[in-house]
Amino acid sequence: MKKLKLILGVAFVSAAFTMCRKAEQFSEEGYDERLSGGLATVFDETSKAFSHAMAGLSANDQHAHDLGDAAFEQTFVTAPAPMFGGLGPVFNNVSCISCHHNDGKGTPTAGAVNSSLLFRISTSGNNEFGGPAGMDGYGGQIQDVAIFGKQPEAQIQITYTDEVVTYADGTQVTLRKPVYTMQNAYVAMTGNYSLSPRLAPPVFGLGLLENIPESTIVSFADEGDADGDGISGRPNYVYNAQRKQKELGRFGLKANTPTVITQVAGAYHQDMGITSSIFTKESSWGQLQMDDKADDPELPDSILHAVAFYVRSLAVPARRDVNNAEVKRGKELFVQMNCAACHKPVVQTGVDVTFPAISNQRIQPYTDLLLHDMGEGLADNYNDFLANGREWRTAPLWGIGLFEKTNGTPYYLHDGRARTMEEAILWHGGEAERSKTKFVQLSKTDRQAVLKFLKSL
Amino acid sequence: MKRSILAIASVIVLLGACKKDKDNNSTTTTEDFITLKQTVLTDFTNKVAVAGYKDLDDASVALYSSLDALNANASETNLNTARTAWKNMRTVWEQCEGFLFGPVEDNDYDPNMDTWPTDYVQMDSLLASANPLEVSDIQNATLSLRGFHPIEYILFGNHGDRTAASITARQRKYMMSLATDLKATCHALYLSWTAAPENFADKVKTAGNGSDKYAKKQEVYLAIVESITAICEEVGEGKMKEPFDAKDPAIVESPYSGNSIADFKNNIIGLQNVYMGKYKEDGKGINELVALRNKALDNKIQSQIAAAISSFDNVTSYFEVAIINQRTQVQIVMDNLAALRTTLDEELKPFIIQNITD
Repeated sequence: MKKLKLILGVAFVSAAFTMCRKAEQFSEEGYDERLSGGLATVFDETSKAFSHAMAGLSANDQHAHDLGDAAFEQTFVTAPAPMFGGLGPVFNNVSCISCHHNDGKGTPTAGAVNSSLLFRISTSGNNEFGGPAGMDGYGGQIQDVAIFGKQPEAQIQITYTDEVVTYADGTQVTLRKPVYTMQNAYVAMTGNYSLSPRLAPPVFGLGLLENIPESTIVSFADEGDADGDGISGRPNYVYNAQRKQKELGRFGLKANTPTVITQVAGAYHQDMGITSSIFTKESSWGQLQMDDKADDPELPDSILHAVAFYVRSLAVPARRDVNNAEVKRGKELFVQMNCAACHKPVVQTGVDVTFPAISNQRIQPYTDLLLHDMGEGLADNYNDFLANGREWRTAPLWGIGLFEKTNGTPYYLHDGRARTMEEAILWHGGEAERSKTKFVQLSKTDRQAVLKFLKSL
Repeated sequence: MKRSILAIASVIVLLGACKKDKDNNSTTTTEDFITLKQTVLTDFTNKVAVAGYKDLDDASVALYSSLDALNANASETNLNTARTAWKNMRTVWEQCEGFLFGPVEDNDYDPNMDTWPTDYVQMDSLLASANPLEVSDIQNATLSLRGFHPIEYILFGNHGDRTAASITARQRKYMMSLATDLKATCHALYLSWTAAPENFADKVKTAGNGSDKYAKKQEVYLAIVESITAICEEVGEGKMKEPFDAKDPAIVESPYSGNSIADFKNNIIGLQNVYMGKYKEDGKGINELVALRNKALDNKIQSQIAAAISSFDNVTSYFEVAIINQRTQVQIVMDNLAALRTTLDEELKPFIIQNITD
């Protein structure tokens, strides 16, 4: 007992001394590199790695997360239905989870029950909000499935042609370049259009990305490439259909969506044909197959908000093997090749006192959320607000090493053309051309180290 | 899909807990443990997973045959036989849901056969149309028109109010194509574990020893533990809690046959099969590994599983009725499942990380 008192006494005194010291910069070594999501990190490397709630949610928040979880997995059906009605009349899939497999990335096929690839369509013009104009009769997206009695707007045939890349050491990698062909269009197309393929991305960690201060993201931009490193990067500014104003774009593969809730409402609307308080008219509004039921909005606000909260509160999986020598070497190379100029390893989130798990967190998203010219090889020639046909948003790399766990067969890049991370690297062009070239010039051992590092994310 | 409160804390705690262990282990138990680690994986694969999927494959054939008989002769006897075959197949499937990882999720076999709810509007349109209702038509249809539940609706109506004579010719045609589709899915699932090119059984058994899916044994053990934790949570905090909280019978799964409670219980029996390493044939389970190093934990898990399973029997009405008038009994089941889930997540998972490192 006495001893305990003494210990407590010493502890108290030393605590008192500590309290008198001024705050110092916390050294970089003091952080645990595994904590990709800061406090909102989860230790799981199984197929469920992307599916965990952030720790420390209040009972009420956890309940909202659980409701959103159930709704995310829920199959919707044709109206009128006692529950979960409103699907279609044209759509791409029947639930969120159908495309975002295990809350992760999807499968690059279109129109089948397990397909996760959709196609935006537009003329080169803009609509009244500065976004893509879409196509008469089709809107902004090809819905390639329909409820019974209606016709899918079109089917997209996907074929690939092989291109071989050969390293100096003779090692060869086969890349596959996709060709997309519209078939069985339900009404004739008139005029020119561009198709933009979009593969469902992972949905974890979005609360953290949403909470990065706009000023931080804008500070990463270097639109005129003032530092001459070949990398510019610029923010997209897009229309927020909920707040009815122009805002920084963060989500979507061209940073074409400003907030999680508009992303969720947009997906219900365009991908499932379900109206909400944000998108009140059917995706087929004004088209030949529009349903004239007076049941809008079909999605209750409670479900919309629960699903938005669900994805905002999904934790980020921890890194593995961070002390492995090869992984460390790979990380050094990643930085030396300037990959980290866009795939920012460390970003600090803003303060949000209502949501401690995402507030003021040091996260490792490996993205700057900016648009970059990725070269002709990846171009879709489709404009999306400020993003031009060669620009894509830097994909966050956190969790990328777990895709083969969460997806069975992993696919990479905006349209899933890459089957390995190595193929994905080799597709980089435009602003990333110099970094890609440096990767190609690495020895086989060093290339393996880079891939091993990516696998640890 | 899954919550993991204190995930970080538990990792830190287990680092601190590493020391104690060695004092308790004689050389023999260490060797036993090493051997057992492999045996448990082999037995899980052969005696639980593959055996379960083989039964599912067989049950889908039996269901098809019974529906074929009903199709040829719409007697009440044949309807009853078909209902029994449907419930038998459901029992096997719900138990297989105790290990929802691997091809069943990677290849979407689960949603292909078990999507809910049924889309009445589309089903009515489909049946009223001139669609030929061949297997290929069903396989191209949306998920909510395929699998167990449309068959359930045709066989049972609402709580079994269907009569054999009232099943229309179109419904019979639809039912036969659904059963053929279901049979194909179950057979493909079985082959995904047992035959090239996928041969998932091999990937599990050779984990940490050449498996291209699991570089370490620990990875597959964590996948197994994650899958039993997930089903525990899915039942307690999803399938049961949502209708319970909403007091809404409309969102109960398997309402036509009144089979929901049996489904839930079979899910947890499936969990028990995985933990104990036995299904029809006895094998070595995770329980024995745990018992070698932490007998108290094994006792706790086994008794929590048993308590959860037996508490289902106190819910005596249909689940959609029980959420209104047997709330206490339903709450006890959910509490038992929550306690079990916490143990699996906060004690069994750290045990695996600590003790299976290769």
